Amino acid sequence: MSQLDISRTADLMVTAIARELRPGESVFHGLASTIPHVAVQLAQRCYGKDLNYVNITGGYRMLPEKLDISTDGDNLFLGTKCRFDLADIFDLAARGRLDTAFLGGVQIDQTAHLNNSCIGPYDRPKVKLPGGAGSAVLVPNANRALVWRTKHDLRTFVEHVDFVTSFGHVGKVFTPLCVFEKRQGLLELSLLYPGVSYEEVAQNTGFPIGSRYQVMEPPSQEELQCLSQIDPDRVRDSEF
Amino acid sequence: MSKRMDLSAAVALVKDGDTVAFGGNALFRSPMGAVKELIRQGRKDLHLMKTAIAYEADLLCAAGCVKAVTAGFVGYEGEFGLCRWYRKGVESGLVRANENACYSVITSWRAAIYGVPFLPIRGMMDSDLLKAVGFHKVTCPYTGEELVAVRAIAPDVAFLHVQKADEEGNACISGPVYEDSIIAKAAKKVVLTAEEIVPGSFFAQDPHRADIPAAVTTAVVHLPGGARPCAVSGCYDMDREELRSFLAAKEPQAALAAAGLEGRELQ
Repeated sequence: MSQLDISRTADLMVTAIARELRPGESVFHGLASTIPHVAVQLAQRCYGKDLNYVNITGGYRMLPEKLDISTDGDNLFLGTKCRFDLADIFDLAARGRLDTAFLGGVQIDQTAHLNNSCIGPYDRPKVKLPGGAGSAVLVPNANRALVWRTKHDLRTFVEHVDFVTSFGHVGKVFTPLCVFEKRQGLLELSLLYPGVSYEEVAQNTGFPIGSRYQVMEPPSQEELQCLSQIDPDRVRDSEF
Repeated sequence: MSKRMDLSAAVALVKDGDTVAFGGNALFRSPMGAVKELIRQGRKDLHLMKTAIAYEADLLCAAGCVKAVTAGFVGYEGEFGLCRWYRKGVESGLVRANENACYSVITSWRAAIYGVPFLPIRGMMDSDLLKAVGFHKVTCPYTGEELVAVRAIAPDVAFLHVQKADEEGNACISGPVYEDSIIAKAAKKVVLTAEEIVPGSFFAQDPHRADIPAAVTTAVVHLPGGARPCAVSGCYDMDREELRSFLAAKEPQAALAAAGLEGRELQ
């Protein structure tokens, strides 16, 4: 992708995610999660969704002015009025009170199994992936998991994952081309980004994508303006 | 009672084959000074534990010190990508990946804290990690509900890098605490490396300042810069140069040299 394409795609993904967040809900993302973080800021600052936003550092409702390529450090903690640590967040999810968790998936299949563990057999993998972090508990325990992946190709969206790291309440999957929604247990195309064709998604997805979808309303002037205030240095492009 | 030690004596508390836990998270407040000393002392067959581990695992794998890693996430963030020496170790079969959810790592420590052999957790039921890593299920005797039983793991030694400690072993952490205070209570021995040694009166003025209580601490090492090249809140930022040159190295010796560990013979 050219830099222009990356920037346009990052804005579409972030906007699609921000629109999806619900007023007043509790929401968590972990480390290496710049796209969800910017989406949380957009949801809060542009739409005023009043999120109970928690993150891995223990900071509560932290919407820093200065973004970092990391979502695991000081800027998501310093200035918090209370500490709500990662262990507290997992406990909150275990008792059914975390509304939304953001998680990644290196491989994703039609039933929304996520693989973040390995390509090839677990004991002697061809590629050892970093691991699912919290996903094996948060995908089933959060009321819904929103998954994002900055690649959309046949290696990512596969018929069957090599390894099931996590399974559970995946609601939607955000990609650089579209949004998938889980319907009757299967992921289907639900939202096509403007300028992306149905065929492009179908050709880059290793399972049937259905035919019930809408085309996303492009980001408004207000949304784009808000994004440029939240993230003037375009840290959000770093995930591509 | 003073628990002050020099770095080499404190790191010598670790024996070959031990389970070693580290405080901090990814590239923040990781006890790298102690990790590099483990390599200098030639420790072998270590079992590493942390929720999200990065440079400790990669450096110790490059030096051939690691038998297994128990973690939810093994990797850097953002521009630094995957842990290549850990990956090589696992892909070649030399290093065992005990991949967990971060929550099950925390639960292993909590079970150790509570003095019970396991604790049940909610979640993970449909994950292939159960079979691959060897988690068992347990049935609740009250409700009949099936849950995952996470085995207690008390690390033999935990290394925590903190901003302030007194010589008795109370520690105050500024910025994110991550899992440090849980690890401190779960480990059999706790080694603090501290940017600054403060008088005990600092804690006596307000005992709420002690994120780590001296009651669980074994050793205190004054080690300014003891997390470099990782960042320490209020003290220093990440040293991206060291990380970049470590990750650019194609051979283990060159990687260790980039980390300031020249001339070490690999095991």
